[in-house]
Amino acid sequence: MKMMSLRLYRLLQAFILLALVVFIGFKLISGTLSLYINMQYMPLTVFGIVVLAIMTLVVLRYLGLEDHEHHDSGHQHDISPSALMILMVPLLIGILIPVHPLDATAASTRGMNVSAPLVGSSQTREFQSAADTRNILDWIVIFNSTNDLSPYVGQTARVTGFVYHDPRLPANQFIVSRFVITCCTADASAIGMIVTWNQSADLKESSWVEVKGPVQDSTLGGQPIPLIEANYVQSTSQPDQPYLYP
Amino acid sequence: MEMPTRRYGLSRILIGIILFGVIALILYTSLPSLIWPWLGGRLSVFATVFLGIFIEALPFLLMGTLSSGLVEVFLSDEWLARSAPRRALPAALVGASLGLIFPICECGTVPLARRLFRKGLPLPAGIAFLLAAPVLNPIVILSTATAFGWGRMLLWRIGLSLLMAVSVGLAFSIEKDSVNIMRMPLFKTEPVVSHVHSANETFIQKIQRALLISADEFFEMGRYLVLGASLAALLQAFISQTSLLTVGSGPILSVLVMLALAVLLSICSTVDAFIALGFMGTFSFGSVLSFLVFGPMVDIKSVLMFLQVFRRKTVFYLVLLPLLMSLLAGLIFNYFYA
Repeated sequence: MKMMSLRLYRLLQAFILLALVVFIGFKLISGTLSLYINMQYMPLTVFGIVVLAIMTLVVLRYLGLEDHEHHDSGHQHDISPSALMILMVPLLIGILIPVHPLDATAASTRGMNVSAPLVGSSQTREFQSAADTRNILDWIVIFNSTNDLSPYVGQTARVTGFVYHDPRLPANQFIVSRFVITCCTADASAIGMIVTWNQSADLKESSWVEVKGPVQDSTLGGQPIPLIEANYVQSTSQPDQPYLYP
Repeated sequence: MEMPTRRYGLSRILIGIILFGVIALILYTSLPSLIWPWLGGRLSVFATVFLGIFIEALPFLLMGTLSSGLVEVFLSDEWLARSAPRRALPAALVGASLGLIFPICECGTVPLARRLFRKGLPLPAGIAFLLAAPVLNPIVILSTATAFGWGRMLLWRIGLSLLMAVSVGLAFSIEKDSVNIMRMPLFKTEPVVSHVHSANETFIQKIQRALLISADEFFEMGRYLVLGASLAALLQAFISQTSLLTVGSGPILSVLVMLALAVLLSICSTVDAFIALGFMGTFSFGSVLSFLVFGPMVDIKSVLMFLQVFRRKTVFYLVLLPLLMSLLAGLIFNYFYA
């Protein structure tokens, strides 16, 4: 008498493989995959989905074949129900916990990466770009890789990010922040620009805002950081791509 | 003979689930309601980081188990036994360079190394492969170069990883038979289907058998990816990294902190260079280098996989030797090369 027959094991295996295909495939199609990984690595995920799908078919194909041979070979099978259960954990987490991009909660545990030399490959980024097309990452790169900031100070920035109330800031300031994802959410680091805005305290943590105003040179915790003297803060909806990629 | 333990395993899981439910219920009714939004926020961070690691690592794990399946089906034991160098040093060197042919990260090396051992790969070669392949492979070299440029960080990372992998490989060469370091007798972990194939398989049948072996191995190794990713995500969601970073000054402490981060964050070796880059402002060259050398060899995921495959004593040395060598390297750089 066995706890689990090989047949049942194979069926469950195929079910979980198929569920993973559907789960990740759905994330890919619905666009929510970009909440987890840098979309640059999307081809790898597609490769993974294809391999899992082929595995599903192969496992199903072996369903009948094995039961025959199985009787006369008194071979001990390495069947472990625990592996099946553990592989269901990602599915459960994905289904039970609502999809949510990293926000101010994550920023508070990780801290603002104001020093941000994290963008090695983008050092050659076009600094001549019009000021109001730069995103938060562009500004941070400029402030970390340029010695003479005078051409940039006073330019009008127009950026979108989420509100993060850094405990180090006074009541009339907040940080407009984005997460930078190099590979996946495990390496996410929060970057941001200080915003001076009188109604800062009214802004809800993690809510998305568009900020416009002249840029000043400032520091936070001894590190240079751009500051926006906002003349316009408008709440906005979360962008399709909540993260920035170097 | 196996059955009682297996039944015990299943009932233990059931008891675990029930206990978990009871504790969750007690917590839910007894904790102040204020904690729920706080916990909910953290939980969604946990889920996002966990799924990020899982989805990103999945293709690499699959590459590893696919290689392993193909090796099992297409690489004959005789060929490997004939062509693998017998002497320890050449064997270790060959093993360390195998990663250039099998471009996989640490999620994939463990299943493949076990398969190669089973096929009769000499011990020094297998151990050197296990430790070096996550760094000495085209993808990782490219990502390190992208992050740090074709400079000294890349050279030292490759050089030190090679040196450490070969040394540990040599250290294991005193053990003559790979069976002595494996956790289970080899026959027991033979893939489920090994007896299904017949002598005159067609190519398609061989491919199917390789895929079935990969699938079995995916389940076997995948659970350690899930456990490792959970731990890393829990850590990232609940423990403040800024507090770790403030600790990380001083030539000794900075190396220790980076080594701890390498283990705890469990980032795939194909991308850890980008994370390391983020630490360059705060940490010295030596400590970041030790992170880049040690992380691919030992982290939560890989240790869990080691434990599944090797004996405890083997795992102990597989963790300790690279740890001491990375620590030493980091300290030397901090004191003499800063």
